[in-house]
Amino acid sequence: MAVHPNKEGVHRHRLHVLARAVAAIIGGYVVTGLAVACLARLLPMRAAEASIAATLASFAIYACIVVTVFSTRSMLRVWIGLGGALLLLGAILYLAILAGGRL
Amino acid sequence: MKESFRQSMAWLHTWTGLMFGWLLFAMFVTGTAAYFQQEISRWMRPELAATADPVSATQAAITYLRTREPDAESWFITPPSARNPVTEVFWQPKKEEGQPPTRRKRGETSATLDGHGHPVTVRETRGGYFLYRFHFDLHYMPVMWARYLVGAAAMFMLVAIVSGIITHKKIFADFFMLRFGKGQRSWLDAHNVTAVFALPFYLMITYTGLVTLATQYMPWGVMANYASTDTFFEEVFPGRADVPRSGVAAPLVPVSSLMAMASRSWGGAGIGFVKVANPGDSTATITITRAADTAIAARGESMVFAGPSGTLLDRHVPEGGALATQSVMVGLHAGRYAGWGLRWLYFLSGIGGTIMVGSGLVLWTVKRRAKLPDPAHPHFGFRLVERLNIAAIAGLPAGLAAYFLANRLLPIAMDNRTEWEINSLFLIWAGVLLWACVRPQRRAWVESLSFAAALFAAVPIVNALTVSRNMLTGLVTGDWLFVAFDMAMVTLSFALGWAARKAARVELKATRSARQKSKELTTA
Repeated sequence: MAVHPNKEGVHRHRLHVLARAVAAIIGGYVVTGLAVACLARLLPMRAAEASIAATLASFAIYACIVVTVFSTRSMLRVWIGLGGALLLLGAILYLAILAGGRL
Repeated sequence: MKESFRQSMAWLHTWTGLMFGWLLFAMFVTGTAAYFQQEISRWMRPELAATADPVSATQAAITYLRTREPDAESWFITPPSARNPVTEVFWQPKKEEGQPPTRRKRGETSATLDGHGHPVTVRETRGGYFLYRFHFDLHYMPVMWARYLVGAAAMFMLVAIVSGIITHKKIFADFFMLRFGKGQRSWLDAHNVTAVFALPFYLMITYTGLVTLATQYMPWGVMANYASTDTFFEEVFPGRADVPRSGVAAPLVPVSSLMAMASRSWGGAGIGFVKVANPGDSTATITITRAADTAIAARGESMVFAGPSGTLLDRHVPEGGALATQSVMVGLHAGRYAGWGLRWLYFLSGIGGTIMVGSGLVLWTVKRRAKLPDPAHPHFGFRLVERLNIAAIAGLPAGLAAYFLANRLLPIAMDNRTEWEINSLFLIWAGVLLWACVRPQRRAWVESLSFAAALFAAVPIVNALTVSRNMLTGLVTGDWLFVAFDMAMVTLSFALGWAARKAARVELKATRSARQKSKELTTA
C-alpha cells in the first residue's frame, strides 16, 4: 500500500485502508465467532471441553484472518472470501444446532 | 508478490502498533510491576513485619469472624504465606430481605489480621494490588468497558507481533546488532533487540492474556453449547451455588485438621484460600483451595468439607484437557507459580516488553520526522503522537514514583487515603501530559524524563525519612525486601536519568544544526 502523491490518491488510499480495517476487524470477528461456535459444537469432546478448546483457538484464528485480509491484493477477493466463509460456517452451525444435542 | 506481502505486513505492524501503543505501554508497565505485587504491597505497608503460622492464623481468623460477622453469607480467608505476612479476610454480608444488595466500602467487609486474629493497624493502601488491577481494569471507568478496551489492545498486539515477525526477514541475524548513536537505525535496533530478546515471552503473554478473559471476548464457543455463560460456569465449577441456611445452629469443627489433611493429600502443598459458607449453621461448608505457588495451573484443586462434622463432601480436581490447558495458560500469564529466579525473569521480560513498545512508538516519529514537508512545523497528527509518547513513556513512570511517594507522604489518618494515593499517580501523569503539550518537543523529553528520574530517586530518601525500614537497616537486619525495593528505585532513576541525558544530547545537536543552517541561509 504505497502512499499516493496527489490529494485524490491520498483520499483513495484512506478509503481503501478503512475498508480493509472494517473487513479485518468486524468481518474477522464475525467469521471467528462463527468458526468458534462450529468447533464448539462439532469437536468430539464433552460440551464444556469443546467450548473451551474452541475458545482457546479463537484468537489465533482471528489473527490469521486479519493478516490475510491485509495481505490480499484485491479487496473484492477479501469480501468474497469473508462472505463465503460466513455463509459456509453459518450453514454448518445452523445444521449443527438443528441436529440438536448439547445446548 | 512475496515482497508486497512483507510490505503490507510492515504497514499493518506500524499502524496496529501505533493505535494501541500507549495503552499497551501502560499495560506492560503495570503488568510487569504486578509480578511483584505482594512485595510492593508489603513495602507500602511497612508496619507489617512478622509472619505467622498459616494454620493457627486461619483458626484465629475464624474466631475473629465468628464474633464480628456471625451471620454472614460466607467468609473468605487468605492465610499468611512466605510473600504476605498477614491474614486477609473478607466476607459477604447477610442479604437483607427484599432489599437490593448495597455497595459497601472495602473496610466494611474486609480486615487484615495478625497471627492471633487481631486486626492490625496499617496505613490504608491498595498497594501492588492496584497496579495488578489497573493492568486489566484500568481506572476511573466501568470495569467491563476497560476490559474490552484492554482486550482490543491485546488483540492488536497479537497482530502486531505476527506481522512484526513476518516483516522482519533477518530477525535472528539482527538480534546481534545494536548500533548506538545512529539515530533512526539505533531506535530500530533497540526495537528489534528487545522484541527478539523475549519474543516467545511476548507471544505467550499476549495470547494467555487474551485467554484470561476469553469467555468475555469470545463467548460464542460457550454460547453454542449452553443456554448462557452462567449455566456453563455452573457445570464446570459446581458447588458455587448458594445453599440457603437451615436455621439450625451448629459449631464449626477446628479447621487445622482439615487444612493438614488437604495439605497432605496435595503432597505437602500450602493452603491458598479457605472459604466458609453459611458459618455457624448446620449447612455450613468449608472449602480449602491449594496455594497458587505450587503448580502452574491457575485453577487450584480444592476440597469441600461439611462444616459441623468435617467429613469430606467433594474433591474438585480440574478435569479435561482443554480446561486444564486454559488453566495452565492463565497460570503462565499470572506467574503465581514462579519462584524467585523465574519471577525476576518474568519481570525482566516485562521490562523488555515495555522498552519494545516504547521504542516502537518513538521509532514511528523518528522515521517520519525526516520525511515531513516542513520538519519545524509538523502536522497535527504527528505532534499528537509526539506528545502522547512523552506522556506515556516519561509520564507513567513518574506517576508510579508519585504513587510510592504518596504512600509515605500522605497523612496516615487522612480520609479516602487509598483514593488519594491513586489520584496522585494520575495527577502526576496528567501533569506530564500537559507539560509535554506546552513545551517544545525536545525540551519536553529531557524535562519529563529528568522529572521521573528525580521522583524515583526521591523514593528511597523519603522512605528513609518517614519509616524505620530502609536499605541500610535492611542490610544490617537482613530485611531484603527493603534493600531490593530501594535498589530497584535507584536503578529506575538511573535508567530514566540516562534516557534524559541521551535526549539532551539529541536536543543540543538539533539546536546546533539548526543554528548552522540559519547561518548558511543568511550568508547565502
